[in-house]
Amino acid sequence: MSDGTALNGVVEGRARRLRTPNDSPLKWLCLAPVAVWFVLLFGLPLAFLVWIGFWRIEDFQQVPDFSLDNYREIAGNLFVKSRYGLAMLQSFWVAATTALVAVAFAYGIALAIAFAVPAKRQRLALLFAVAPFWSSYVLRLYSWQTILSKNGVVNSVLKAAGIDVVRLDVIYTQIATRIGLVHYLTPILVVILYVTVANIDRTLIEAARELGATRWQAFRRVILPLSKVGLITAGSFAVIIALGDALSGNLLGGGTGRSLIGKYPLFASMLMTDYSSSTNLPRTSALATILILMMILVLVTGAIFAGRAQRRISG
Amino acid sequence: MSRNPWPFIGRLYLATTYLFLFLPIVVLILFSVQKNRFPGFPLQGWSLQWYEKLFHEGTLIAALGNSLIVSPTAATVATGIGFLAAYALNRFEFPGKALLSGIIVLPILIPPLILGVGFLGLLARVNLNGSLFSVFLTHVVLLTAPAMAIIQLRLAQMPASIEEAAWDLGATEWQTLRRVVLPFALPGLLGGWLLAFTFSFDEFIIAWFVSGFDQTLPVAIYSVLVAAMDPSLNAIGTIVFVISGLILLAIELVLLPLIFGRDRADA
Repeated sequence: MSDGTALNGVVEGRARRLRTPNDSPLKWLCLAPVAVWFVLLFGLPLAFLVWIGFWRIEDFQQVPDFSLDNYREIAGNLFVKSRYGLAMLQSFWVAATTALVAVAFAYGIALAIAFAVPAKRQRLALLFAVAPFWSSYVLRLYSWQTILSKNGVVNSVLKAAGIDVVRLDVIYTQIATRIGLVHYLTPILVVILYVTVANIDRTLIEAARELGATRWQAFRRVILPLSKVGLITAGSFAVIIALGDALSGNLLGGGTGRSLIGKYPLFASMLMTDYSSSTNLPRTSALATILILMMILVLVTGAIFAGRAQRRISG
Repeated sequence: MSRNPWPFIGRLYLATTYLFLFLPIVVLILFSVQKNRFPGFPLQGWSLQWYEKLFHEGTLIAALGNSLIVSPTAATVATGIGFLAAYALNRFEFPGKALLSGIIVLPILIPPLILGVGFLGLLARVNLNGSLFSVFLTHVVLLTAPAMAIIQLRLAQMPASIEEAAWDLGATEWQTLRRVVLPFALPGLLGGWLLAFTFSFDEFIIAWFVSGFDQTLPVAIYSVLVAAMDPSLNAIGTIVFVISGLILLAIELVLLPLIFGRDRADA
């Protein structure tokens, strides 16, 4: 920077154009589009979303306002009429159980790839696990409809095999929703969990084995604790995606899929139908704002647990 | 027990999960060439009638056309912005740099459903709602962060000294960017573009909220789906799967080795 005595003309020539690599008009040329993109196309719509939640509808027109009417209406209808609260419960219930199953399922895949597949083949095995992610989600759900429906692939195979007493009857229940979601989530979770498992120091496992631990003990006492942060991260991801997804619930759950809680839609599905039946954007925005709050709750909870697990490892 | 059974159990588990993961895709392809109106067993013989119907009716093909307009353009713009952001983060120091690299990935974390509602309100306000252009705009938002992440992976491997060497040899900053940085970043740019393209090609919920009558393919498929069971969907599904399969193959065979710097050994 303060190199006044330049060694030769070349450096001097460069110094004229470029005092330091950091002080350059190019910097602002690079940052300006990013700033515009972020503020105008990301920050503004989100801020607008939260703001519209306080608007009113008058004579089918949106009126800018600062009223809590939408939230009051939603709060008043939590368990009657539109049953927003029951949809919230349904969403949390389905998302949590789906996340649990999906994480366990994907953790098995990650472990199998890391420990049962020869090192040379691991990338190929991982690619196969990720490949379904590249096919269209809507079409995959359509295919699951074909497979799970009353006269679909599974039931027609059972019938053709002469097993008439057993019939798969899960279509338009939240079980079918979960199947679609687990199928959607698995590739994403496998990547997160494979990275976690692959980063575990193998010498720790060997040391445990040499000190007399059985394979099960080595898993329980070494691999599992060291995967904890990855498992929590994957879990929060799974819950967030499941909470925000309407497609599985609409196509496989049939909108209001049956589950332990009852025949209620998921919050995201309800948000979609609420909008298409009423086109009341202020209320839809209020519902979306509530969804953001639900997700922040999940993220914060996940971060707290992950932080605690991290401390336990390093401490 | 003398032998360790776990590798065997692991591989068996893996095989079962692959069966689960690929089942919908296999079913889709199988019933796209089946005569059955209602997909089920026993199979009733082969036929290309669903492909004929698909091309004859044309609504899904038109939607495929819409998607093939929106996705490449959105991916290109997103890759451009993503490159500038990645380059800025890689080369320059500026206040708020750590903050920027953190918040720039937020669009990945915010669920598309929420972005869809937010954009609907905003775009309706400025009368930009209900067209392919609004889908393009919203997709640029969604795609920039993942594209940038891939490009950053590549740029992180470029030693700063390469750029400095070019300046010392008398190249202007602009020449260096064009002749040194861009060629080095090219695999990352391609990878980011392909990732962005596939994300946009498959994106449903934002497009559902903002697309109006100019439906993209996932939205059009959804509206056919909720109306009735139509085996033409198997046909379009197979076509889409072939497109995505080719992209995945390109990423795996050509780009991943380049992005992760396998070419540095022979450079």
